[in-house]
Amino acid sequence: MKTTKTIFQDGNHKWVAIVRDPEKPNYLIDTNEYLITHGGQGLLLDPGGAEIFPAVFSALSSEFDPSALAGIFASHQDPDICSSLALWLEFNPKMRCHVSWLWGSFIPHFGGSAETFVMIPDEGCDISLDGLILRAVPAHYLHSSGNFNLYDKVAKMMFSGDVGAALLPPGEDSLYVEDFDKHIRHAEGFHRRWMGSNEAKRRWCERVSQLDIDMLCPQHGAIYQGANVQRFINWFDELQVGIVSG
Amino acid sequence: MTTALTTRLSSAPQAGVDLLRIVRINEEIKSVVGVAFKINIMALNAIFLAKRAGTAARGFGVLSNELRVFSQDLRDCMGALTGLIHGCVNEVSLVLQDLRHTGLLHQAAVLSPQSKAVGVLAAREIQNEQHTRRLASLRKQLKRALEDAFQMVELGGVLAKSAKIEAAYGQSFAVPLAQVSGEFDNIVEEIRASLESLRRSAFFTGN
Ligand SMILES: [Fe+2]
Ligand SMILES: [Fe+2]
Repeated sequence: MKTTKTIFQDGNHKWVAIVRDPEKPNYLIDTNEYLITHGGQGLLLDPGGAEIFPAVFSALSSEFDPSALAGIFASHQDPDICSSLALWLEFNPKMRCHVSWLWGSFIPHFGGSAETFVMIPDEGCDISLDGLILRAVPAHYLHSSGNFNLYDKVAKMMFSGDVGAALLPPGEDSLYVEDFDKHIRHAEGFHRRWMGSNEAKRRWCERVSQLDIDMLCPQHGAIYQGANVQRFINWFDELQVGIVSG
Repeated sequence: MTTALTTRLSSAPQAGVDLLRIVRINEEIKSVVGVAFKINIMALNAIFLAKRAGTAARGFGVLSNELRVFSQDLRDCMGALTGLIHGCVNEVSLVLQDLRHTGLLHQAAVLSPQSKAVGVLAAREIQNEQHTRRLASLRKQLKRALEDAFQMVELGGVLAKSAKIEAAYGQSFAVPLAQVSGEFDNIVEEIRASLESLRRSAFFTGN
């Protein structure tokens, strides 16, 4: 089973990270799921693949009533992002899935009906969670061509999806980035190969630098906190991406 | 523990085996349908030949008309079989999907027995039950349709054999009539053998 860590709390406004499953087989990439709660409602960010559903579900339900999930935010279309969609819908068939319009007819292959999907336009949009306004921030081509991060201005938290992701070796699995230089080595190969556009990366760095962020929370690896957030943005800005050898 | 939590998940390999069996039955039926189509053309040929032979082949003419009716009935029958087999393939795939989802929900319920997973699992089981029942009903219908087809083909075999006998009285047309009725008989025999093996498929006997 995965563990839950509350990484932000102000009354009933919470960010909960669902992380690190010791029983997960190695052939599945490790993922972080995040739950934002506000009022009585919850929004689950990148709920993960069908295979890890039991582990995510059981961890989440120790914190929150899964039938009170108002929606799912899918940063993009990958199977490790939301192939569990059909299973979550069993708990609340009225749940909405917010996703880039680009994937609006692709993700239904994982489940859901016409009513399930709320398309995010390319420029992004606000998503309300019981009055809390969250912002879908464009991160196209990083890596997916229709890709969004989710920014919570009140909590100063940013869910960055695959941006900032690191493939951590066994044993180096702390929740927060401790030694940036050491950590970033596990992120470098991933960013060079998965991220498709230097131009898009440049724009993302500019856009995100203007936001007030305490924590940058990726879908794989560890969370960047405090000064490490800007350190990551600077590092990413310098990195040449879209490179494949061979 | 609720009944939902104690569900046997051992039916997963069974559904997989069923799917493979249905796929094989489907392939066999497709080839029988192809052969049955040939019979139609043969029956038409037999009618023309009988007309040309005129009074010399009056008995054969009557039989060739019967064979033509038979070939049309056979085609309808094959259409019904095809519809049923498609229904079975669809239901078995739904059962397979149910099993995967139920397995994952089951694991979730075991990990957090106090959560809503237990209730959702129970609801899923009701749906699974409906799919399983629909599959059982389709399986029964398919079995009956195969029996009907088999009976019909046996009758076709009798017609073909009678036509062979009548051909002998066809005077100068005896040779071509014998050839046509012989071919007819061979094809009917081929279909009969296929249907016979389909009837014995483990998908129906449940082993
Ligand atoms: Fe991805
Ligand atoms: Fe990912």
